[in-house]
Parts: sequence; structure tokens; C-alpha cells
Amino acid sequence: MTQPLLEVKNISVEFKTRGGALKAVDDLSIDVQPGEILGLVGESGAGKSMMGAAILGLIDPPGRLSKGEIWFKGRRIDQNPETLRGCEISMIFQDPLVSLNPLKKIGDQLVETILRHKQMSRAQAIDRARKGLIEVGIDPERLNAYPHTFSGGMRQRVVIALALAPEPSLIIADEPTTALDVSVQAQILELLKKLCRGRGTSIILITHDMGVISETADRVGVLYAGRLAEIGSTNQVLRSSKHPYTQGLVASTPKIDPASFGQSLYQIPGSMPKLDAIPTGCAFHPRCTREIEKCSQERPPMMKNTAACWLLEETRQGI
Amino acid sequence: MSFITAKNLTRRYDLSDPWIVRQLTFRPKRFLTAVNDVSFSVEKGTTYALVGESGSGKSTIAKMAVGLLAPSAGTITLDNHNLNDPNLSPQNQQAMRRRIQMVFQSPYASLNPRWRVGDILAEPIQSFDLIQGAKNQAKRVDELLEQVGLSPRDAKKYPHEFSGGQRQRISIARALSSQPEVIICDEPTSALDVSVQAQVLNLLKSLQKEFSLTYLFITHDLAVVSSVANRIGVLNKGALVEEASPKDIFTNPKQDYTRMLLNAAPKML
Amino acid sequence: MKRFFSSDFFYDFMRSPVALVSFLIVLFLILSAVFAGIIAPTNPFDAASLNLMNGFTPPMEPNLFTGDVFWMGTDDQGRDLFSAILYGLRISLFVGAMAVALATVMGVLLGLIAGYMGGWLDNLIMRFADIQMTFPSILVAMLIFGVARGILPPELRDEMAITVLIVSIGLSEWVPFARTVRGSTLVEKEKEYIAAARLIGLNRWQIMIRHILPNVLNPVLVIATITLALAIIAEATLSFLGVGAPRTEPSLGTLIRVGQDFLFSGEWWILLFPASTLLALALSVNLFGDWLRDKLNPRLK
Repeated sequence: MTQPLLEVKNISVEFKTRGGALKAVDDLSIDVQPGEILGLVGESGAGKSMMGAAILGLIDPPGRLSKGEIWFKGRRIDQNPETLRGCEISMIFQDPLVSLNPLKKIGDQLVETILRHKQMSRAQAIDRARKGLIEVGIDPERLNAYPHTFSGGMRQRVVIALALAPEPSLIIADEPTTALDVSVQAQILELLKKLCRGRGTSIILITHDMGVISETADRVGVLYAGRLAEIGSTNQVLRSSKHPYTQGLVASTPKIDPASFGQSLYQIPGSMPKLDAIPTGCAFHPRCTREIEKCSQERPPMMKNTAACWLLEETRQGI
Repeated sequence: MSFITAKNLTRRYDLSDPWIVRQLTFRPKRFLTAVNDVSFSVEKGTTYALVGESGSGKSTIAKMAVGLLAPSAGTITLDNHNLNDPNLSPQNQQAMRRRIQMVFQSPYASLNPRWRVGDILAEPIQSFDLIQGAKNQAKRVDELLEQVGLSPRDAKKYPHEFSGGQRQRISIARALSSQPEVIICDEPTSALDVSVQAQVLNLLKSLQKEFSLTYLFITHDLAVVSSVANRIGVLNKGALVEEASPKDIFTNPKQDYTRMLLNAAPKML
Repeated sequence: MKRFFSSDFFYDFMRSPVALVSFLIVLFLILSAVFAGIIAPTNPFDAASLNLMNGFTPPMEPNLFTGDVFWMGTDDQGRDLFSAILYGLRISLFVGAMAVALATVMGVLLGLIAGYMGGWLDNLIMRFADIQMTFPSILVAMLIFGVARGILPPELRDEMAITVLIVSIGLSEWVPFARTVRGSTLVEKEKEYIAAARLIGLNRWQIMIRHILPNVLNPVLVIATITLALAIIAEATLSFLGVGAPRTEPSLGTLIRVGQDFLFSGEWWILLFPASTLLALALSVNLFGDWLRDKLNPRLK
């Protein structure tokens, strides 16, 4: 196996409050291979945005990376992530309205980003910027336009161009299509896939939408209450999920399927625990229909590199 | 028998420059037609889903249905009564309002953060003068909370103490408090996580059965609609382009726009 | 009450030296003013009790003629400065607080109306506000004061001085309240719980007072605290200029005015003590207001 591009080893992100330390991310380990699209799926409060922020060192106090290491291309980066920020690792945020500076022409923002990370003349940078706009499907003549003259989908394309400009090895995309219409969403995802395959850039795609994962990601990690519940190839995780939470999530996602018309949706009982009330043992056990005694006592480690569930330990092989 | 009927419903917004500017620059008036000649009918006790992307006019139609916005042309009536009729007396208006209520999209902005849940639920009861006496009102509030899967203890709490899904339940309870016949659901689950969405959709379904409610369900998510709707109308830029049963829409879409929507929807493997 | 003492707000308050000290100073001054009748050795407002021979006595030294000792000395009319300061504090605080109350009520109401009703009413109120803001508030206060004095018959002028002061300062400070409340109202108006209120048939006033008002009051406390400092200084300024509290019932500002006349002839105490007290009061109120603003701000989000 090739060396992973990014290795996250047992990281925890803690927030200090008067009542004690709350763990938004708890002992999470995951890695990203070069050229792959890794999906991080989870509901609100699962910690997926925290994960993305932690990699880039974007966690503000009172939060902090309380333990663990982050390795990128064989070097440890959690102590000084700023050097890589924007350059080797770039980020795309959810809301294109606030990701672009409304007072600057998009051409200026692009050129500024390029010049910040690469050595070249201004004229060369402008040329690069034009090429970047063409790649994302925007008329290069709009270099001198302001962000407010673009629609939401077009703005997100500009944001993608900005993220790709310094030619990073990894892009972290935090809910890049959630604020967009369905039709635009499909286009943006296609664009991301095409560009990243073409350049061999890896993507960490953070979302709560299983459908998006299903269409875009190679591998997917399922987060629950700050912990990794399951990881595997998209096919595996969605079609033959091992963790009861994943199974529940997949079952409760509405599908366009004639067989399901008029049927009630499957619903997972209860709701995700708040950070100050995470159950002992497996965080999911109070809501799990198949819990066993061990689940409430000890937190399950990742079994067989697939799912963090005690059921996998006792079962026979090959399930 | 059609219970909710929209006939040639139209809503135009005047985006023209001020008169002075127009005189000086000779520009004509500019209008935005958010809803363009839309007609549909909803049978009593069924769910009609209006599906469209942003800018399609679906929220505007919802607001006109419930009386928050007046149509520029056309009518939308409930049981042959027009909520937007300017000649309606205040008493008749109140009587109409009782019969049709709304559940909103944002769980965070649809409940007054400074009011306790019990007061939020009691307000419609008081405003419509349905039950007299604080004790009886409190009993009804407890009843409503239980109907949506919450507990009477929750009446003393404030909205911020609840999760998004629970807040939507409170909104549903509020809509139910006037014992309406129709509930307009304006993207009630768009802001919720998948597992919570399932709970709320199932709740809406069971309430419909229990109270014979009629729903006008607004959404942008075709998949959600497949589990709740009896009939679907597809909106594109203010116009109703296709209308059919879910089965027909999904297996045999007639319009290009509908096909595009179906293709663009992310599919699970 | 218990919820307040265990809240984050109180916790931070106890840990901030600035907040604690400024609050304690303000509290101390308020208590001194409230209990002035008990603490003060003399009643400086009672002209009959003054002994002109006591005039110009330096602090803590026995008077050459009467042998009386005054902690902070006396002014030119024989008034005990310590008592005068305590009673003057009363006027400063009373006028300040009442003026702020007036400004708050007026500003919040006008802001609510402008924000919720919109249209020409909004325009009218806001343009009025803009015009008023082009003048320094002291000038506005003086204008209102002058007009009021002109209208009132001469016998009532001194009696009504305090009321006129309150009204003129209050009317000059309503704009920041109105603007802030209007802004918040515009935001809250669009939220769905207001639509829900309309759907159950509430009228505009019910919606404004029951639903919007509680949600726009957050910044008002901070503005009120800062306006209190401004009002106290405004009152002192007006009195200093001779158009505020009269000599017979002097406030801190009046005392400063008197003291200023005598500063360079050697009677420094007539200026120093009232001025220091005013400084302590205004500064503490200001500092506490600043701390409040910073504390409440991120939580507003």
C-alpha cells in the first residue's frame, strides 16, 4: 500500500468549559490516500467539521487539539499547520456568499492567492487565473467581476478555482453543496470529481448527505458523537453497512424508489447525545436495537478496520 | 371534492426604479413574476407536494395559501373561502385562520426564543378563544405536547433547550393547537438531519391519519416527497410544469425539467 | 435570582478587576447619595443654615472665625463641601437616571415602530433622528432647556429646573436606542415566529410588544449604561455653564463652576473635590458599561 497522503492519529479536540472538558472529537484515526475522495458523513454535532478544522489548525480557543498527531506527506504538521494552509492543503467552505471578499474582484482574489503560494510574475499569475476560471467553467472575461454578480453555484465554482489555484495535494470541502439547489449541486460535484481526478488531488468531502457521498466518494467514514463509527469503501459502507448506526442512517434516508411509496421511513429512535452527555461505552448504545451488555461498559475499538462495534467481535468471520 | 383550490394564482413584485429615476432615464417598470398562473387542487385528507428549486415560487404559494401574502391575480381558496378576500370581516378572517396553519422551515427562527414552550403553545388557544381558563389551557398544552411525542414537562422549557427535530415537533404542536383542517408544511425537514427528518416525516404522517388533515407540502427534495405525497406538482420559475402521482412522476416524467430534477437528485446506491 | 448568580455572566464579572472595581465605586457613590441625609453633617440646600463667616475654610482646618472644621472645606457661601458633594451627587444621579429612562422608553418605542411599520413612518422617524444627530447633544439639550425656560413663568423656573434638565437631556439621547432597536426589529420581523404570530390573528401592536420587544432588548442595557455616563456629564456640563442646577441646590457641575472661579486665588478645594467625585462617577459608569458591552456582545450571536 502506498504511503497515505494524510494520516490522522488518535486526535481529540476538546473544549474547556466551566463544567469540564467537552470532547468534540474523541480519539479519531483516519487516513487519506493520494488521489482519493474520502467522504466524512455524520449528522450535526458528530464532529466532522471539527475534524476538517483540526487538520488545518483552524480550531479557535477555547477549543484545542488535546491529543494525537497529524502527519502529512510523512511530516508531522499538527504543531505548525499554518505553513501548509492554503498551499498544500486548501479548504472549501459551505457558504459561497461569505467565502469570497465582496469588495474585491474575483480576478484579484485569484491572483493574490496564486502569488502568495507560487513564485511568478503578476502577468503569469493573471494568465494562470484565467486558465483556472476556464477549468471551472467560467468565462475568463469575468476576471474583473465582483462576487455579487455571480449566482450561488457560480460563486462556488470561483471558490473551487481559488482552492485549486495553489495546486494543493489535498482539498478539504466542508459541505460544499449544501447551500445550493439540487441541479447546481450535481454540477459542482461533477466538477470537483473531474478536476481532482485529473490532477490527482485528494479530497476530504464533509457532508451530512448520504446521496452526495454515494455519488462522489471512493471511501467513506461515518462519524457519531465525535468518534469514527465505520469506515470503508462507499459501496461497502452503504450497501452492506456493519455498524448499526450506519444501517439506521441508510435505512432512514428517503429514496426515489417506487417500492417505497407511501411507506413510513425507518427511524432511529432517540437523538445524538449532546457533548456533555455522551454515554459510557459505545456512544450509540442507548439507541441501538442490537446492543449487548458489553456495549454500555467499554468503548469498542475499530474492528477489522471497518466498524467500531462489539457485535463484530463476537460474530463469526465473514459477516 | 377539491378542498384547497388554486386558480390562476399569480404574484408579481414591482422591482422598478423610483418614479423620478424612471422619468429621467426613460426606463420602463420592471416586474418579477414569482408565481405565474398556477392552478392545482388538493383533495381533503391528502398530501399535495409542491416541488421546486429556489426561486421556483413554492414558498410564495405557501404564503398566499395561508393568507400572509395577497395574490396579484387569481385566487387560492380553502373549501371555497378566500383568505385573501379584502372584504372579509375580522371575525370571518379569524375563523378562516383557525382552519389553516403552517409549519415553517427553520426550527430556530420559528419559535420565539424568549417565550416558554407552554406559552408558545397556549397563545393560539387564547387568540382563537378556544378554551377558557388557564388550567384548561394548560391541560390542552400538555395534550398537544404528548401528541407530538414530547412530554408535559417540556412546557416550562425554552426553545433553545431543544434540538432541531424537537423544535419542529413544537412547531407542529403549535399548528395543531387550533385544530386546523389544513397544515401548510413549508420545507419542514430541510434543515434537519436525516435520522431526525425521518422521525418528523413519520410524525406528520401519523397525525394526518389521526386528525384527517390535509397537507400542502413544500419541498425541494424529490426523495422526501416520495414517502409523503399523494400527488406532486413540479414548479419551475413560477410555473407549474407537471403534475402527477408520485409513481408517474418517478417512472414516467413527461417534462424535461422534471427529468432534470430526477437525474440531479443524488441517488443512493 | 439563583440562576443569575450561577451564570457565566456573574462568573466572569467576579473575575474581572475592571468590572468589580468600577461597579463597587458606582455602588458606593449611589449609596452615599441615597443616604446623604444621614451621612452629611449639614444640609447645603438650606440657605438659612449657612454662615457666611465659614466661607473659604480650607479642608480639615478650623475656621478662623467660628472654629468649625469641615472635611473638605467650604465654598464662598460657607457651604460645607462634603455635604454639598453628597447632595450634589443625588442630583447628578437622579437627573442622569431619569434622563436615561426617558431616552430609553422613547428610543425603544420609536425604534420598534420605525422598524416594524416601515414606510413613511420609518422614514419620518429616522430623518428626525438624523437631523438631531447632526447637533452635539449638549447643544440640543441647551436648546430644549432654553425653550422650556422661556415658556415657563419665572417663579417656576428654579423649581422646574430639575425636571427641565431631565427632559432636555433625555430628549437629546434617544437616537442610539432607536437606531439599534430599529435594526434588531428589522431582523426579527423577518423571522418565522412573527409570521406564526400573524397567522393566529395578532394585531401589529400585540406582535411588536409581546414578540419583538423581548428579543430586541439585549443591546439596550449596554446603551443605557453608556448613556448614563453621558447624561451625568451632560448634566454637569449644563450646570457648569450656568443653565442647569442653580446655586441654591448645586449639583456637582455647579460646584465645579464655582470652584473654577476661585482656583487661582488659592481655594483649590472648592474645585478639586467635586471634580474628582464627578470623574470617579463618570469613569466608573463608563468602564462598567464598556465591560458590559464586551461581555454581552459575543453572546448575542
